[in-house]
Amino acid sequence: MANFFLDFRIALRSLFQHRRRAIFLVSAIALVTGLLVLLNALSTGISETMIRAATTLSSGHVNVGGFFKVTSSQCGPVVTEYEKVVKVVEQNVPELAHWVHRGRGWAKVISDSGSTQAGVTGIDITNEPDFKRVVSVVSGNIDDLTQPNTMLIFESQVERLKVKVGDAVTLSAQTNRGAANTVDCRIVAIAKDMGLMSKFGTFVPIETTRSLYQLRPDTTGAIQLYLKPRYVADAAAIAARLRTTLEHAGYRVMDPDANPFWMKFQTVNREDWTGQKLDVTTWEDEVSFLTWTLKVLSVLKLVLLTILIAIVVTGIMNTMWIAIRERTREIGTLRAIGMQRWGVLRMFLFESFQMGIIGTAAGAVGGSIVASLVNLAEIKVPLSVQLFLMSDQLHLAVHVSSLVSAAVMITVITTLAALYPAYRAASLPPVSAMSHFG
Amino acid sequence: MSSLRISLTATALLAALAFPQVASALTKPELVEFLKAVDVRQKNNGDWRSMIYMEQKEKGKVDVAYEALVFRRSEDQKFIILFTQPKASQGQGYLRIDKNLWFYDPSVGKWERRTERERIGGTNSRRSDFDESRLAEEYDPEDNGEVKLGTYTAQVMTLKGKPNIDLAFPMIKLWVDKETKNILKREEYALSGRLLRTSFNSKWKKIYSESKKGDTWYPGEMRFYDEVEKANSTLIVIKSVDTKPLEPNLFTKAWLESKSR
Repeated sequence: MANFFLDFRIALRSLFQHRRRAIFLVSAIALVTGLLVLLNALSTGISETMIRAATTLSSGHVNVGGFFKVTSSQCGPVVTEYEKVVKVVEQNVPELAHWVHRGRGWAKVISDSGSTQAGVTGIDITNEPDFKRVVSVVSGNIDDLTQPNTMLIFESQVERLKVKVGDAVTLSAQTNRGAANTVDCRIVAIAKDMGLMSKFGTFVPIETTRSLYQLRPDTTGAIQLYLKPRYVADAAAIAARLRTTLEHAGYRVMDPDANPFWMKFQTVNREDWTGQKLDVTTWEDEVSFLTWTLKVLSVLKLVLLTILIAIVVTGIMNTMWIAIRERTREIGTLRAIGMQRWGVLRMFLFESFQMGIIGTAAGAVGGSIVASLVNLAEIKVPLSVQLFLMSDQLHLAVHVSSLVSAAVMITVITTLAALYPAYRAASLPPVSAMSHFG
Repeated sequence: MSSLRISLTATALLAALAFPQVASALTKPELVEFLKAVDVRQKNNGDWRSMIYMEQKEKGKVDVAYEALVFRRSEDQKFIILFTQPKASQGQGYLRIDKNLWFYDPSVGKWERRTERERIGGTNSRRSDFDESRLAEEYDPEDNGEVKLGTYTAQVMTLKGKPNIDLAFPMIKLWVDKETKNILKREEYALSGRLLRTSFNSKWKKIYSESKKGDTWYPGEMRFYDEVEKANSTLIVIKSVDTKPLEPNLFTKAWLESKSR
């Protein structure tokens, strides 16, 4: 054990002895770690923003939606007698924290100056504290959504419709039986954009969606289930279990399809059945058209990481080779005064390990500071990027766990990179090492 | 005396203004018969081929124009619209078989089931605008009296959708030329009672139909005005009508697909 610490001390002194080289390598390691921390922060930030936006605007962690077909060619996103479905869910999903239900629809929103096609989500604002917390209202009062025939829209829709709070718009849609219908709504709140999903989303009281689509009071569009935080990662497994449970309870359930409900109309319309079928999805299914950004980012991160690590490994190995060449006589002397081969090997590995520890620590701290500065600067991103970030500004999320894992990974790689040069150094015969010149 | 004449004239004028629809009201059976006559006049009880020109004007958008062929068969209510112009839409088409409306897009090679109330080619026209008139089958009429519409004397009636029939417009108001029984004007309402679309049918033409053994009437021009988005309108021109029998296998998916190859 004493030897162990002695070797550790020798390695540390050696680093100080060759401080220019050590500083260069530590800086490279710090840079790589810092970049890794920032890449992780970016992908985690996007992921968190996406979950937050998706689970606020259009989805729970798990959803029980479905389609009702009046005839085989006409379907509507409707769950009939939803309270009975809720009972089954409450009895069989112990991971459930709370649930809300939302009306679903698609309509043309027409103002005096313009029109736009938009998703119309029916909401019971009195039961949606999370929605009120996450959606940032820039004009009007979100609580006015308790009044009938009112509407919340997003800033980007204001540009298209040229309206302000208090103005009236007409919602024009077809009922599930195909009859044309309209509802006049008053805009009561305008909210800050939340990426792609808010471009085509509007919110009205759920009674308004029922009135527009001529639905009974015991119907809804989807039941959104919010899980206790520790179960959020298990959403897919819980959804699969819930599918079986609902089937056992006598409901017809659609096959799993990892797509949002509005992408299923064509498939459902093609199928020859009538009546009600339930569809259980996760939040990832409902935003599957956006999660490709995360996949692209992961691939990009992997490619960048591989390149950076290759550079660091090459740098470490080269430096070690140079160090061994420069210190061959020193190695020979150490061996001659009794240091074992393992001792030499350990000494070089320790040097690399120490550089790894110092470099990754500096990189992790530096990366975190940069990420914090970026968040503080509230950097606005271009519209095209907003669509996929689901936010109008860049958000980097740094977690201790990701910092530790980045530091450990880079340190291990750095240490392992020195293994072969250290082994070669340990294999040098003391006599020839001592007589080495150069 | 002259003051009496003036007051009588004024009373008569006021009465005429207050009660413009003073012609004798039709009884319910008479009104149903009248509506049936409107349908019969436009039916040809056989095959139909026509070319249509559609022009859609929308506020803030470039005008869109299409040319298409319409084929229909009275016997089993089959129906095809095959787009021929512009080039980007060539080969696209709607096919109605077994009361299902299908849309085919050759660029993706896929059939999609669409609702019967689909806006044809994204315009403000519906499949029913090109199909045989079935007003008496689908609606119950109510008499709204007579009015003068330009030089025409029009019978006005409100049609309410019969129960258990799925209709795009649950309420329609019609102005029908009393003399010819051609539809002059039509207002279509949403369930909420809001006026959605007004159309004017003009340039009524007739063609002799062998299958009907008589004349079949059709509007040479239809103009649709969007009443919600006031600036939007659609013009439909119907031309080159032919009532000769069509190929027996025409109303099939294979036939429509073959037209884009």
